[in-house]
Amino acid sequence: MLTMTTLRAFTCDDLFKFNNMRTQAVLNFLLKYGIPFYLQYLAHWPEYFIVAEAPGGELMGYIMGKAEGSVAREEWHGHVTALSVAPEFRRLGLAAKLMEMLEEISERKGGFFVDLFVRVSNQVAVNMYKQLGYSVYRTVIEYYSASNGEPDEDAYDMRKALSRDTEKKSIIPLPHPVRPEDIE
Amino acid sequence: MAIQQADKLLKKHKDLHCAKVLKAIGMQRTGKQDEAFNLAQEVATLEPTDDNSLQALTILYREMHRPELVTKLYEAAVRKVPLSEEYHSHLFMAYARVGDYKKMQQAGMALYKIVPKNPYYFWSVMSLVMQAISAQDEKLAQTMFLPLAERMVEKMVKEEKIEAEAEVQLYFMILERLGKCVEALNMVRGPLGEKLTSELQSRENKCMMMYQRLQLWPECNALSYKLLLKNPDDWQFYLSYFDSLFHLMDMSWSPSEEGQHCVEGHVTTTVAEAVKFVVDRMAEEDKKDSRPLRGPYMACLELIHRLRQRGCPDDKELGDPLELMVQFFGKFGDKPCCITDLKIYLHLLPPEQHTQFRNRLEELVPLGEAGEDGFRFPGDTKALQRHLCVCQLSRALGLQHALDTEGKLSLIAQLKAHYHHGLRFRKSCLKTELQFSDMYCLMAAHVYIDLWTENGDENMLWQCLGLLEEGLSFSPSNAQFKLLLLLLFCRLGAFQPVVDLYSSLDAKHVQHDTIGYLLTRYAGSLGQFAAASQSCNFSLRFFHSNQKDTSEYIIQAYKYGAFEKIPEFIAFRTRLNQSLHFAQVRTERMLLDLYTEADITLSLEESVKAMGVCAEEEDIPWDNMRDNRDLTVLVSWDPKDRELTEEHRRLSLEEESVWLKVRSLTLRLLASLALLGHAPSPRNSDKTNENGVTTKSSTLQNLLSQLDQTLQTAARITEKQTKYPFLGPPSSRLASALSSGSCHCQASALRLSLTLQELETAGLDDSSELQSQICNTFKSIVVQLQEMLSRCKGEVLEMKDRRLKTQPSLLETLVFFLETVCVVLWVASYSANVLRPLKSSLQKKKKKKKDTCTPVVLCGFQEWTSGLQGVVTQALDHVKAQEAQLTTLKLAALTLEEGDQQTQECGFTRVAMDKVQSSYLGSLQELGDLLRKRADSLKSLKI
Repeated sequence: MLTMTTLRAFTCDDLFKFNNMRTQAVLNFLLKYGIPFYLQYLAHWPEYFIVAEAPGGELMGYIMGKAEGSVAREEWHGHVTALSVAPEFRRLGLAAKLMEMLEEISERKGGFFVDLFVRVSNQVAVNMYKQLGYSVYRTVIEYYSASNGEPDEDAYDMRKALSRDTEKKSIIPLPHPVRPEDIE
Repeated sequence: MAIQQADKLLKKHKDLHCAKVLKAIGMQRTGKQDEAFNLAQEVATLEPTDDNSLQALTILYREMHRPELVTKLYEAAVRKVPLSEEYHSHLFMAYARVGDYKKMQQAGMALYKIVPKNPYYFWSVMSLVMQAISAQDEKLAQTMFLPLAERMVEKMVKEEKIEAEAEVQLYFMILERLGKCVEALNMVRGPLGEKLTSELQSRENKCMMMYQRLQLWPECNALSYKLLLKNPDDWQFYLSYFDSLFHLMDMSWSPSEEGQHCVEGHVTTTVAEAVKFVVDRMAEEDKKDSRPLRGPYMACLELIHRLRQRGCPDDKELGDPLELMVQFFGKFGDKPCCITDLKIYLHLLPPEQHTQFRNRLEELVPLGEAGEDGFRFPGDTKALQRHLCVCQLSRALGLQHALDTEGKLSLIAQLKAHYHHGLRFRKSCLKTELQFSDMYCLMAAHVYIDLWTENGDENMLWQCLGLLEEGLSFSPSNAQFKLLLLLLFCRLGAFQPVVDLYSSLDAKHVQHDTIGYLLTRYAGSLGQFAAASQSCNFSLRFFHSNQKDTSEYIIQAYKYGAFEKIPEFIAFRTRLNQSLHFAQVRTERMLLDLYTEADITLSLEESVKAMGVCAEEEDIPWDNMRDNRDLTVLVSWDPKDRELTEEHRRLSLEEESVWLKVRSLTLRLLASLALLGHAPSPRNSDKTNENGVTTKSSTLQNLLSQLDQTLQTAARITEKQTKYPFLGPPSSRLASALSSGSCHCQASALRLSLTLQELETAGLDDSSELQSQICNTFKSIVVQLQEMLSRCKGEVLEMKDRRLKTQPSLLETLVFFLETVCVVLWVASYSANVLRPLKSSLQKKKKKKKDTCTPVVLCGFQEWTSGLQGVVTQALDHVKAQEAQLTTLKLAALTLEEGDQQTQECGFTRVAMDKVQSSYLGSLQELGDLLRKRADSLKSLKI
């Protein structure tokens, strides 16, 4: 891995630094959510919101997640809500490092697995998650609603079992795709 | 519909509270605010205790932005149902919404007494902490609120009732704020600290924080060392490792006899040891087959930097910075972040090594054979990235700036060739994807700008625009292309293309605060008033939504025990509310509305009233202004001596604040002028009239003297003629406002209204001195306007020697002229209101006595209005002439390049030229339209 980063808790002031991306494609790619969304995560799962900072003070990327699900049904797990790395700091293994941290936090909380959703068309991301040990658990039909003339798109729900799930039951793939209203 | 349903229900059950409230919500949403409020109050005074009514009323009050009424509601509810956990908890949240920390503290305790759950107890503790944070008096915080909070937690600790991690976090927060670092440290290291598990390295980070605060350098050093062994890439710990080492050396620290260093383990006490540590870390990385870490190599450069700063010769032990950086480039040169990393340490190279350094790097870039044009190109994207990095580094070393014109032009040719060559590496046709070679294009644009600013050769600017337009056609989502285009168009005075560029950046919430200035600085100043309003609205919409957004999440943070986040959310809200940009767009938006609307569609007085401008009250936080602008949003690879400095930032904020002060005073002066114009109603008793007038005129007086002072400060600031880096903040409008003469002309016009007031009280008899004073001001204002207009003369755009030449400052001056005309005409209209009754009472008298001649002020006024009419007509003629000149200008006749440049490129340059031309034309049309409307309003000035 090749990050050389200061990793720390995300704070509101970081929202003001989000332009500090040198080779950005789209200026706001790190700010795709509205402020309420960020505040909600900060209020509820502050430990799951981590930012990576370069020695020059530039923001390199962040990860944002949460813990949810029923413990009794062995569905208590960590969820990756957003993972973003500025283009300039890609190919440094930063995403992997941030994922590793989120998994570690989920381990400590006694989660059974970590999961995330990704567009089926986003092969780069799907492959990256596979390399990090994630596998497709199920397909969610039309999970991403249409925007900018693009049609609805399916999502893969990808999972990685944590140590609490000794038999790796949580990641046995479902045979059929599900609809968004069927997932919790 | 909802209202009807509610009515039906009410027919059956006359006193169903909830139905009434629902009806009220329906009314509120259909715009019947007053009726809704009255109906709601009907229910509220009955102090309902049913959950439905309470919740419905809460929703209603929230929509009415009256959260304080919710507290009243639940205060009554808990009085009637004192044991309800739910209502008490609602009451706590209602207090949280209005930020009443004291009441929250009490409500939390009351809850705990009913239901002894830990969270309630700690809600109360946290509310004490909030009282401390918000206390004006720091002493009160330190001697009362925080110690009380500490005791409350201690009590729970003693009784062994601490349950949750959040409670420990809160305890730490209290101790930290009290400066009880030793206690905080012991707590974190002790059994309570074991609860700190959610956040990674939570205990280590908290210990480190306390070691630094307590200056426990041995512990700080040893902990950094330990953490670096675990993760040799965590940059923050290299910094604390080096910091603590030098502190230890300065105090000649040595371990005790027993060889025990400190609780955290081994302490580094000598440079030699630190050098060895860093060298070892690098050796570890060298051994790896793939993906070495950057941290150790950067740490090595950092250590050299620090040793040199201390004048310590041991830096030689680490090696020659040139060799180290070449080595770094060899390992990481194909990563886009290589430039960001190395840029920080370029100062370690002496100037005489700069060229050598670049040559050494070039040897490490694999390029193909030279083609026809003599350029050698990279064969893949990794080689491209390396080559680009060398270009970026040579720019950062100042090697590009040192070239002469010839050299720069051939550099541009080379960069363009690499740009075009690199386009072949694109993998997909996704619109959002960038070209690998985009940065060459951007750098070539920077070199064009160098040539333009150095030689004043405008041709370079046009070619730069063309190149960027071309770049954007291949990478439609490249934000840097858009930002630079936006900046250049603004500098050229062409605002029309700018709004679309900004919209296409798709800026999100906070970004309107951080980069909105790029747009709004030029919005009002270039005569595109409709677009200017739109630009202000982009930002205003965001700021207004912020208030609502935060309080909900403060409440959530209480619920989930994220206590650390509560002060953070409040600080975030404050930072936005005190934003410089927010104050600017607020003020400019209102001024814009006045200049474009007042006395055209509505009277000045009605306009001011509709906007809610208050002359007496100040709503700008002058002492706590936050400059949230991101002044480095545009990429720059310029050498250090050309970069934006802290001093630049300070000066820019200073001049923006003074300009804002001028504008906000102008706005408030116009508001008080509008109030003066309000004809005293004869029904009121004389006494109140008099009082009313005195306060109004003293406000005016006071504001005028503030304006004078501010203009003096402004003159001092503009004398400095601060120049900012081209890619840094634009200069404020202050200097051009002063040199246009608009500030002083507006001030003298506004001051005239005071003198006219005196005349109103003195009457026409025995006031000849006052009258001639007024007449002199009349004349002087016309002269000043004439002078301003003469400064607007000239060609905004013309062709000279087959080249295009622009003078955007003429547009800016014309806008200042127009604004001043507006102010003068409002004062003229007030003058007419004062003089009219005086004249008519004179005429009554005249009928009795035949020999009186007309008083000077009345003649003077007639002359004045015809003088103003004259200036405005001249201005209109000038604008018309400019429009005609622009329309006949055939850009197609322009030869863009001597020699055989690609026609495609010329095409993009022409596109940019057309945009500028059409934008100028648009500005002139809007300015002309507004002038014509103003000229119409002159007709109503007859007395």
